[in-house]
Amino acid sequence: MKTKEWVSDLQNFYLLSFQGLWVLMKRPFYSKDAIEQMDYTGAGSLFIVLLVSLFIGMALSLQLSAELSVLGFKMYIGKIVGVSIIREIGPVMTGLVFAGRAGSGMASELGSMILGHQVDTLRVFGVDPIKKLVAPRILSSVIMLPALTIIGDTVSILGGYYIAVFVGHQSAAVYWSSIRGVLNFENVLSGFVKPFVFGYLIACISCFMGLSTKGGAIGLRRSTTRAVVLSFIGIIVADFILTRILFYLLGFTL
Amino acid sequence: MIVFDRVSFSYGTHEVLREASFSVRFDERVAILGGSGEGKTTLLKLLLGLLRLDSGRILVEGKDIRDQSEEELREIRMQFSIVFQEGALFDSLNVKENVAFGLREYTKMTEGEIDRKVRELLGRVGLEDAMDLMPEELSGGMHRRVAIIRSLAAFDPRMFLYDEPTAGLDPVNADIICRLILNLSKDGKGFIIVTHKVFDALRLADRFMFLKGGSIIFDGNKDRLMNPSVPEIQLFLRELNLPPAP
Repeated sequence: MKTKEWVSDLQNFYLLSFQGLWVLMKRPFYSKDAIEQMDYTGAGSLFIVLLVSLFIGMALSLQLSAELSVLGFKMYIGKIVGVSIIREIGPVMTGLVFAGRAGSGMASELGSMILGHQVDTLRVFGVDPIKKLVAPRILSSVIMLPALTIIGDTVSILGGYYIAVFVGHQSAAVYWSSIRGVLNFENVLSGFVKPFVFGYLIACISCFMGLSTKGGAIGLRRSTTRAVVLSFIGIIVADFILTRILFYLLGFTL
Repeated sequence: MIVFDRVSFSYGTHEVLREASFSVRFDERVAILGGSGEGKTTLLKLLLGLLRLDSGRILVEGKDIRDQSEEELREIRMQFSIVFQEGALFDSLNVKENVAFGLREYTKMTEGEIDRKVRELLGRVGLEDAMDLMPEELSGGMHRRVAIIRSLAAFDPRMFLYDEPTAGLDPVNADIICRLILNLSKDGKGFIIVTHKVFDALRLADRFMFLKGGSIIFDGNKDRLMNPSVPEIQLFLRELNLPPAP
């Protein structure tokens, strides 16, 4: 891609990201569209988030049980599972699942609307595509991804509990006591801020890629793939940056 | 009056229109002919301000659309009713909701009034029983009829724009669409139809233009079109299976 086009795309992406938020504060509100999107992105992603979270929690607990029992630190399983799930793995993993399922859906839906002249039709009707199409997707993502993350974190911790107690033979009371110990303000805030940012990123990237679709079925494939790949990269990079900022703001010591 | 004044437009490095110039009155029935990829759809999109031209001017009743904000363009667009290729119905809405879309956006009609209006409009094209169908359940002809009715549900356009309205349709459905187009222009409303189907263009329009290489290379009436001096038009007329000129 030529540098000029790349810069222009970046500029348009920032514009869309800003406008997507700005128009949320202006009438008319397409609440029906937002609710439909919440159903698609939230309820639609729930099962896969539950499944992935359960197995991630169980795998993490299994790995820790094996290593920590050798060192005689099995009582720390709950604490390590809790901290890593709440602060890091939960938000990132749920974000990646969300990007793969909902983000790709947004990009392909908007892309096919572009190719089928449906977006042009909206503009002819005097409807702002950013307001009608992008804003509801941003709103649904920033609401549903944090909700899914909370559910996913809970299921991961339950999965970790099952392995730690029934396979690793750790005391259930110790496990839950450790989990309660890590559910402090700093950890919860750290795990709760990330999904908001990830949801916003995923929605903006996916909508931008969808609305930039050109060139038929091949173009649609390209924009959908780019939406998912860039969302993944965005989540991973943003996670590091947010972690660094939150460490600083919340006073975590290294 | 609509004026295209030396309009040029490119998609990236691919030049689609090169100093295309013509003017059309709102009550004219015009067909713009040309092969695939010659920029026929682009012409319509430029006219509505859906694309930004590279150079030249497009005037609608003296207003240069380049100088208009999105709000002002909305006023200009409301003078037209466009039906895109294959209808461009909203996939996520059923037929009733598609037709009601503009009514919900632009009017303060109650649900009952919208329901009655949609029924009446669909009745005009024989589709009152298709209200609850989704776009994917419609045939190509039904798709176009719904799209045409949707385009005029909310406003009273001065001119219709049709992008390949009969492309991909069987002769029976193409005939239904042509009759609908003629019916809608009965009260003096003009249209611009872009098509590569000469037969339909001859049936519908009074004035014909031919787009080739980004420029209008022919502009004339039916008699002039049927006796063309331009080889590209002669090739197009072969579709009609006319006997060779003596």
